[in-house]
Amino acid sequence: MERKIIGVVSGKGGVGKTSITASLASLAKKDSMMKVIVLDCDVDAPNLAIILPPDEKSKIDKKDTFTTLKSEFLEDLCNNCRQCVDDHFCEFNALHWDSQNSIPKIDFLKCEGCGACKVLCPMHAFKIVAVKSGEIISYRSKMGFPLIYGKTQLGSTTSGKLVSESKEHVKNLKEYNESNLIFIDGPPGIGCPVIATLSNLDYVITICEPTPSALHDLLRVIEVIHQFNIPFGILINKSDLQSPFQKPFSKYISDTNYEILGKIPFDLSIPKAMSFAKPVVQYAPDSEASLAIKEIYTNLKRRLWDQNKV
Amino acid sequence: MTGIKPKTICITGGKGGTGKTLCAVNIAVMFKNEGYNVLLIDGDVENPNTYLLLNGELENKREVPFFMPKIDEDKCSRCGICAQNCTNHAFLYIDDSIPILMSSLCSGCKLCYKICPEKAIEADFKTLGWIYSTEIHGLTLFVGELKPAEARSAGIVEALLENLKNIIKNKPNKFDVIILDTAPGAHCDVELLIEMADVSIPITEPTRFGKLDLKRIMELINLLEKDCKVIVNRSSLLGFRDQFLDELQKESIEILGDIPMDADIVDSYCQGTPIMDNNSGYDINGAGFIAFTNIFENLKKWINLNE
Repeated sequence: MERKIIGVVSGKGGVGKTSITASLASLAKKDSMMKVIVLDCDVDAPNLAIILPPDEKSKIDKKDTFTTLKSEFLEDLCNNCRQCVDDHFCEFNALHWDSQNSIPKIDFLKCEGCGACKVLCPMHAFKIVAVKSGEIISYRSKMGFPLIYGKTQLGSTTSGKLVSESKEHVKNLKEYNESNLIFIDGPPGIGCPVIATLSNLDYVITICEPTPSALHDLLRVIEVIHQFNIPFGILINKSDLQSPFQKPFSKYISDTNYEILGKIPFDLSIPKAMSFAKPVVQYAPDSEASLAIKEIYTNLKRRLWDQNKV
Repeated sequence: MTGIKPKTICITGGKGGTGKTLCAVNIAVMFKNEGYNVLLIDGDVENPNTYLLLNGELENKREVPFFMPKIDEDKCSRCGICAQNCTNHAFLYIDDSIPILMSSLCSGCKLCYKICPEKAIEADFKTLGWIYSTEIHGLTLFVGELKPAEARSAGIVEALLENLKNIIKNKPNKFDVIILDTAPGAHCDVELLIEMADVSIPITEPTRFGKLDLKRIMELINLLEKDCKVIVNRSSLLGFRDQFLDELQKESIEILGDIPMDADIVDSYCQGTPIMDNNSGYDINGAGFIAFTNIFENLKKWINLNE
């Protein structure tokens, strides 16, 4: 079977990306046709490892990433001309004059590592260095498939690059060649790390719930998905929520003709499963939510590989 | 209340969907109910939702421009200096031809514009997103919105903060309280807003995800040396409320209050009427209403508005 890479995004946070990714991966593991790899690209708040912990015998690989560039001041070369600050070399306001020491000071958080100061300084008294931006952790999970996740260093500015690097890292795994299904749990939002998550996907699962905020954020993330021209399907979580927005929501979704991958009713077995750190399909396999997720898994497989037969 | 610097409160949380916007909007409304002049800033520029919870329209749209180099092909000598010096490799340069800009890689540092020996690079602009300002439910609301498919969300947050700094400078008495609502995560957008505020309130939920992300955001808040107290939302979700609050207290995490599961809150959230608004009509003896009232009393004591 041809390998497919599936991203899970939502725009809005807290609508169930991680819980659902874990359950779909767990179903794929039990499916003899599937060789699955799971990747958590919510590098700001990676949580999938809680539900998919390492197998006791598994080696845990940690690799520091240096995707963030920062400027470093070389005091020995500085002739105190002040041009860097006075002439506004830095468009990101990361350069300030330290009048006590008659030298420029670099604001580490604001610096984008663009190198403008280094090139523009007549003495070239700056250099650009790669600093630790986070780490990529990979191991074999208790369920048997590999899990990879990226985690940003606090204060580092380039979460998009860490996402791209985590996605590249999958190709180094010995399991990669024979894998045919890769799930990527994406970050909330529509910005840099989401854009990095969406590139080169075969299909996107967009999760929504029937509230105005979730619909609004769904439509924004769909706009981004359109730019990449990737097929997507909507998964409605907490689909039976007691909400005055139910009717307008259903009407809106059906008017758009977007593909609906499935619906999961509000079911306490999902948060309960989370509190025991298990995918719901394992913790309560016969619960309403689990039955719904199993149906979604079947729909997804059909959507990915049987397109010609439908 | 003249002559007092406005108190700035940042509502954040690490994890998505814990109730940041719900709390930001209702805290803003409770200050307004007591006659304070309140500015609410929606800094979740990837997905701004405050105005939906207030059932309002976005008004006074202002574009946030972002630098883009534009090559004047007549002036360009095809030397390739711009491409050689671009750290982000945003120019594709083949010997003796005009460099091609790959705009998605451009950081906007303007280095190419400054160093081109022929002055063949012009400062052009693209739209990164928009900022809006509007009056709604007696609040002043600023909203930032990133244009979909653009990546540099921090540019919009910076534009919002620039606006805020101008107000504090030119009309220091206009607002008594400023509430900042952040995006989920612990990235630079969130960091900029925490840094701007006097105190931060992370919103969490009693789950393992909630706790893990809370710790991460608190690490960032500590790094920025700000005070913080936590709100636990949906505290009654799984019946672990007391246990969860105990655990936080044992780790010396201060708690501002907790909000149980409440049908009125869900209803108000979907209607776009903040539950705590004076005229919202929700039951003042409801569990959600009481929880917010307590949180507000604790908050006022904590930040001591008249200092």
